[in-house]
This record gives sequence, structure tokens and C-alpha cells, in this order.
Amino acid sequence: MKRPFLGVVVFTLAVILALVGIAELVTRVSGEGGPRPAAALTSADITPEAGEAIFWGKGKCSTCHAVGSRGASIRGPNQGDSGPLGLPIGARAVERAKERSRATGRPYTVTDYLVESVTEPGAYVVEGFKNEMPDPTRPPISLKPEELRAVILYLQTLGGEPDPAAVRLPERLLAAAKGAPATQEWRPYLPGDQAKGEKLFFDADSNAACGKCHAVKDRGGKVGPELTQVAGTRDPKFIIESILDPSKDISSGYEPVLIVTKDNRYITGIVKKEDATHVEVMDNQAEIQKIAKAEIQQRAPQKTSLMPGNFKEILTVEEFHHLLAFVLTLR
Amino acid sequence: MSGTQLRGRGLPRGRAWAVLCALTLLLLAPAVMAATSSGATPAGEAGGAEYRSAFGASSRVVVWVVAELHLMFGAFVLGVPIFASIVEVVGWRTGERRYDDLAHEFTKLLSAAFSTTAAFGGLLVFALFGLYPRFMAVLTGIFHETFYIYALLFFAEGFTLYLYYYGWERMQERWKGLHVVLGILLNIWGTLLMLLANSWASYMMSPTGIDKETLRFVGTTWQAVANPLWIPLGIHRILGNIAFGGFIVGAYAAVKFLGARSDEDRAHYDWMGYVGNFVGLSALIPLPFAGYYLGREVYSTSAVMGNNMMGGAFSWTFIIQAVLIGILFIGGNYYLWAGMGRIDGAERYQPYIKYINLVLLLSFAVWLTPRNIPLSGEEQMALGGQFHPLLKYLGLMSAKNAAVNFIILSTFFSFLLYRRGNKGEPRPFATHGRGGLVALGAAAAVSVGLLLWYGSSLLALDPRSLDLTAAQAVYFRPPALLLFGQAAMVLLTGWLTLRNRGKLAQALFFASTAAASVFFLGVYGFVIMEKANPFLRNVAVAQWLMVMVCLLWNTAIDVLLFRGADTVGAIRWGTMPARSQFALVLLCVTIVMLMGLMGFIRSGLREDWHIYGVLQDTSPWAWTPTNAYMMRVVGSIVVVFLGLISFIFWLAGLGERKREQGRPA
Repeated sequence: MKRPFLGVVVFTLAVILALVGIAELVTRVSGEGGPRPAAALTSADITPEAGEAIFWGKGKCSTCHAVGSRGASIRGPNQGDSGPLGLPIGARAVERAKERSRATGRPYTVTDYLVESVTEPGAYVVEGFKNEMPDPTRPPISLKPEELRAVILYLQTLGGEPDPAAVRLPERLLAAAKGAPATQEWRPYLPGDQAKGEKLFFDADSNAACGKCHAVKDRGGKVGPELTQVAGTRDPKFIIESILDPSKDISSGYEPVLIVTKDNRYITGIVKKEDATHVEVMDNQAEIQKIAKAEIQQRAPQKTSLMPGNFKEILTVEEFHHLLAFVLTLR
Repeated sequence: MSGTQLRGRGLPRGRAWAVLCALTLLLLAPAVMAATSSGATPAGEAGGAEYRSAFGASSRVVVWVVAELHLMFGAFVLGVPIFASIVEVVGWRTGERRYDDLAHEFTKLLSAAFSTTAAFGGLLVFALFGLYPRFMAVLTGIFHETFYIYALLFFAEGFTLYLYYYGWERMQERWKGLHVVLGILLNIWGTLLMLLANSWASYMMSPTGIDKETLRFVGTTWQAVANPLWIPLGIHRILGNIAFGGFIVGAYAAVKFLGARSDEDRAHYDWMGYVGNFVGLSALIPLPFAGYYLGREVYSTSAVMGNNMMGGAFSWTFIIQAVLIGILFIGGNYYLWAGMGRIDGAERYQPYIKYINLVLLLSFAVWLTPRNIPLSGEEQMALGGQFHPLLKYLGLMSAKNAAVNFIILSTFFSFLLYRRGNKGEPRPFATHGRGGLVALGAAAAVSVGLLLWYGSSLLALDPRSLDLTAAQAVYFRPPALLLFGQAAMVLLTGWLTLRNRGKLAQALFFASTAAASVFFLGVYGFVIMEKANPFLRNVAVAQWLMVMVCLLWNTAIDVLLFRGADTVGAIRWGTMPARSQFALVLLCVTIVMLMGLMGFIRSGLREDWHIYGVLQDTSPWAWTPTNAYMMRVVGSIVVVFLGLISFIFWLAGLGERKREQGRPA
């Protein structure tokens, strides 16, 4: 054979290129990749849709559970029609709640059963399956309380109706999320005026002017988390803390980041969208900047929220309680 | 041997310097690590920069490329000594000098490969400390004591290699046993080195000694080393390295064969390619089982990681892996079949090959079938749902277990046909005397013992240990009874062998193994998935055990059957067609790609965690790349690796060429 080594080199490169081509094909067929989900859930948009996104994404529930004919996992019970008892999880939870009541002697609502299933997976294991579901509140999944609520809302919709008010997470989880022990029922020092609070919230010239950054329904800005249902998902203590010390617990998806570009531009904001090549950052004026990753020299997460941390100084005690009274109506 | 000859066969001075420099680099590494060590650093605390970029490049790609090249060279310098030792022992015991020469020829490559491995290791350490300082501070805080042991082992391996290589000619004849021991020692040091480095990588996947509340490391160094994935990963890598070494030898032989100018050279390199392929395939056969064990332990360590592997982001990567393994098995079988063309008498077995081919292709079709593909609404309507009514079953684990067992049985069958290609009728068993009886009895005892042991352990299995009810224990019986049945088949076929019906015995045992392991348990697995899902892993072990016993028992019968048998033709070494040599090159490229892909899976399973569940990766590169991106990176790494290996082969050949030119006419 003439020039055998050259023939082998050409053959080798052809094999490698063919295998790379197969991977390209697999990527197209599987539909994998693409940009990552823009952001994790915020306290204000706890909806079944958000829960569904977590179920099939960050929560990794779908790697064990299918829902009817969607998904292929069999390690855990199917949560759709083809699941145990021939019922979807939202419907079969009625039977399960009765079972749990009998077994523990405590009253269980349908949602109590769902909450227990998600937050204490080992408490009740469906026959034929192993007690191996990880605690989704612990690493590596690390779902936050609002994310757990959203998942439970989604499970409720599988054969039932969503009922946010019925979702009561264990105190230990809420306490752990806040890094503080569980508290007694909270009461404000002063009764606030909701109407005055609403004015303070939306008036751009007021001392608070929260609406510049936060939306309630379709009114307000988009820089910070939407607060339409914040009081339904967060307790008052957390809300007070979030107003007075916004950097203590920054909502998931709103963690600020400092990006230094190679041409020495400093950009601070919240990552709204990211893919393999670009990152989109929203600054505190709601301006979106798209930065090529190749241009990034340094990227550092910031511990200080974009929300001003001086409300304890610029709001009077009365103003603060008016504002709080309004926010606590947002359910 | 004269001193001149010794120098001619030894290390060139330049290369020895390169080795010394590499050793120095490696010694520096622990010092750098120790200097940056901060004791038991809490995972959450950051000090200084968390991440840096090298010349504006993606830090992840830099570490990925350097680490993979280091691993590939590491696999080469671990796989080749294993290959050389095996071949040397064969040469020593059979008295065939060509085996000894082959082992020596490949040991010659090790010195340059050794220094390249060390240089990439040093570069990797610098890259990691430079680009991922916080992560490396944490890892150093846990593992710094092992770094010194690593350096000492490296010294031990280096010096043993020199003794092994330089002492080759001096330790012929009387001292050959000692030389073989040196080869084994070289492999022991190498394996210990690999295991130590594995402990760092496996710890990142399955950390131990961690306080769950504070995420601080509170354990001992040994606890960290002996993490749950340490041994499974070690077994997988050892087998992978042997297959890797074998197939690289095969490709080297193929290139030399294609360029050979004399019949003598062609015969030599043809034989070398055969040996390389044989060693590669032998290690490849148990590799899927080692992979299954590793995967199972990944599941046990973290169900989240395990599910991500087989049912999540990496499930499609395993489809590509199946393509690569398919190429390896079909390519290896093709080479064997092509090899039968150079054996007079092998034409008797040619008609079987099309059936083996069919089995292989069908089995791979099953292995490649994904359970779930994203479908549009229209496509779902056309299909009548998310899944194809029949193909959906082929995407499940039970079908894939059956397929892989069938592939292995078929490949083994191919090898037996090749082996008996030029053999005539076997001699009566009685001519083997007491030795034959003892050998057959020992193989039977091991086979029956293994089958009875696992069968009885299934019957004694407590269903509660699998979270199953007592009523579900009824599903444990069929696989246990099949194992007992196979034990009875060992005795029956042993008796037939003694009655000079060995060929019938082999056919019967093949048939019963395929029926039990592939067909019955393959289908039964679906029942288990429906009725007692946690028991499926025990079913998989039963299938694997039956196939392994089939390999052991049928090999024992075959060796005795054809020992001293008449030959009906000769093996015409050097008459292989050129396309068969390209099959060897294909095997080599494929296994190197496979190694790159498996490295990606192992590392990628951690997703955005440096240390899984303990230390999060918050760098801009903490996203899982697509398979297309991954294969582009891996493909580039493979091109660089094969280029460097070719350069090393060329370097090693320089001395030979000079000697040939200086040879008197």
C-alpha cells in the first residue's frame, strides 16, 4: 500500500468527524441544549405552571416520575392517570390522605398528603417502590419553600384543583430557609392603613416607591420579584426582613452579579437569560444588557441586593406599617 | 549483550532528561498544593478569587482538555505495562521468543509516554490551582496527605520501569522470573497511582465525611479516599485501560503492517495486531458489567445523580456511548472473521458468521433504542401517543440488559470459532489423563459454586431489604431456579465432555445460557419492573453471572477439547487484507473517543457542583454542554492525543531504524 500512514490519518479523521456528526444528529433529535431557563422561581409567581417547570427541570422530579404518557421514568410512581390506583396524584391523594389519617391518627387533608410526600418522602412509600426519594430541600436539589409550594400546586392540578391557601409547609423548612427558629404568630406593633400603604407603594415620588421595581398584577416594574401573592406565600416576618434588610435573603433568581468585561466595563445586575455564548443582565433601571461570554473577564456573585437597604432610615414607623398593611393584603 | 547494544536499546539521553524534568514537575505539584492548603476549609467560605480565566479562554475547556489528555496518556502508561506483562508471561511459559520481543517493543514506548503523562499531570495541577483556586483549596485541605504518597508511588513506578526496561536482556533465562516480578510490580505501582488519583475524582462525585448541616469536612483522609465510588470506578478504569492498551497496540501493528515491505514483517505485525485485538476484546467483554456496577453505585450514592445519568441530561450521551461500544464489538468481531480467512480449515465455520452478525446488529438496535424522544403534537398523533407501541419496550433497562448479554455471548462464540479454525477432531478425553480431569473438575466446581451461591442468596433475600412485601418474594424464585438449572447444566455438559461429546456439551451450554439469561430473564425483567421494580438489579446480576459462567465453563471445555488435537491447516500470518487493518485502526480511534466520552459523563454528572452537594460551581462555565459540543471537544482532544502518540511511536522507531541502517549486509 502506498503511503499507508497518510491513509490511516485520513481514515482516523473521517471516523472522528463521523462520530462528531452522530453527536450533532443526536443533539438535534433529542432537542437538548439551548438556553437555560431564565431564572428560578420568585416568591410572587408561585403557580402550577411554575411548579410544572420545576417538576420537569430544577426539581428533577421527572427523572423518577412520569406524568401519564409524558416522560419515561419508572423509578417512582407515575403521577398521571396510569399511576397507582389508576388515578393521577391529585385525585389519588384523597385516598392516600385517608390512609395516612388511619395510620397516624392525625387528620390529613389532600394537600397535607402532597406536602408530606414532597417534604418527607420516606414517611409513606407507595407499595412496589423503594424508599429512595431524596429530600428535595437538601443539596444537590435544594428547592426553596416557594419552589416546593409551586410543585405542590402543580401536583394538585393533576386530577384536582390548585389551592394555594391549603399548602402549609413544615415550620422547620421555613425556619431553615430563613436561618432562624420557628416563631410564634406575628402581630404588628402598629395597625397600618392599607390605602396609605398602597399609595406609598405605587407613588414614584413617595419615600418607598416600591412599584418602580416590583409589580402587583400588571402594575409596576420588573426589576424585582412580582409581589401579587407575596403574603400568601411568605410570612410577615420574612416580608419585614425583606423590606428592612433586603440583602439578607435575596429571592432565588434575583441574586445580583458583577460582571467585569475585558474592556473594563463593570456591569451589576440580575442574570435574566443565559446560554452557552451570552448572558443577559438586567440592571436596577430595568435595562437589559447582552454580554458575550467571550468578553467576560470576571464574574462575581454579589451579596448585596439591588434593592436599597436604607428603608429603615427613610421610612417613618407609621409609613412602614402602612406599607406593610398593604403588602400583607397581597394574597 | 554488549554495552553498545544495551545503550542502543535503552533510553536516549534526551528522553531520560525529559523524564527527570517531568518527575521534578510532579514533585513540585504537592509542594504547590501544600503551600495553598488551608486545612479543613469550609466549602462555603471563599477567600480571594474564586475563578480565573487563562488568556481569556474558558477555564472549563482548558481543564477539560488537559485533564483528558493526562488521563489518556495515563491509560496508555497503565494499559501497556499490563499488556506487556501478560505477553511476557505467555512468552516465558510457552518459550516463544516472539512474545518476549513484543513485550519489550512496547515497554520501549513507555519512557516517552511516561514523561508526557507526567508533563500533562503537572500542567493539570497548575491549571486547576490557577483557574479554580477556591475549589482546589478545599480539595487540598482534604487530600494533601495523599499527594506525598502519590509522588512516592510515582518515583517507585519510574525506577521500576527503568529496572524493568534496562534489565530486560540481562534478566533473560535464569533471572526471567525476577523480571516478570518486576513487571508485576510495575503494574502494582501503576494501579495504586491510578487508585489514589481516582479517589480525588470519585470523592468529587460521592463525598464522605461531610457534616450535613455545615457542609464542612469533618472526616479523616482515609474516609475521603474510601468513598463509595472509589472501587467501582477503579475496576471500570482498570478494565478500560487494558482494552485501551490492547487496541492501541492493534492500531500500531496495523500501521506497521500496511507499511511493511517484507513478508516476515507483515507476518510479525499481523500476529501483533491479533494479540492486541485479543487483549482489547478480552477486557472489553467484562467492561459493560463493570460499568453496570459503577452505574448502580452511582444510583446508590445519589438517586438524583443516577437518574440524571440514565434518565436525565445524560441519557442521550449513553446513546452515543452505545454507538461507540457497538463499533467496538462489531469491529472486533469483523477482525476475527477476516482473520479466519488466513486459517486453512476455518472455512468450515464461515456459514455461522452471518447469523452472528445478525444477532449483533439486532442486539445493537435494541441497545440504541431510546425510551423517549421529544415529539411534536402531530408526531404524537401519528404514533398514537408518546411512545411507539412496540419499540417503547426496547428502550427499557431489561431489554438493554438482555441485548448486552447476547452481544457478549455472540462475541465469545465468534472467538471460539476463530480458535478452532484449523483444528481437527478432538482427541478422546481420556488422553488428557488425571490433569485433564482435575482441570475440568476445578472449572466445574467454580462454575457450580458461583451459580449455587447466587441462586441460594436470591432465595434467602429479605424482601424488606428492597422495600418489598413478603408476598413479592415470590418473584425471587424464577431467577434462582434458573441459576440452579444452569448449575445442573454444568454437571450434565461436564459428563458429556467426559463421554467425548464436548462439542455437543458446548452447544448445549451456549443454548441454555442464551435461553435463560437473554430470552427468559430478558422478558421476565419487564414483569419485575411492573411487579417488584427494586429486584430488577438482582435479575441483572443473575443474567451477568450466567453469561460469565458460560464464558468460563465453555473456555475450559474448549481448551481441553482441542488440546493436542490434529490441525487441518496452517495459519498464514501476514495474509490479512488491508481492510482488516483499518478495522484495527477503527477500534483504536473508537476506544479513545469512548474514553473521552466516559470522562465527560463522569465529570458532567456532578452538573453545577465541584463536590457534589457540598461545593457548588458558581463559575460562568457551570452549565452542561450539549452532546454536539461535547463531541467536538472530545474529537479535538482525540486528534491531539493520537498525534502525540504517533509522535512517540515515531520517536521509539528512530533507534530501530538507525540500528537497521547500521546492520552489516
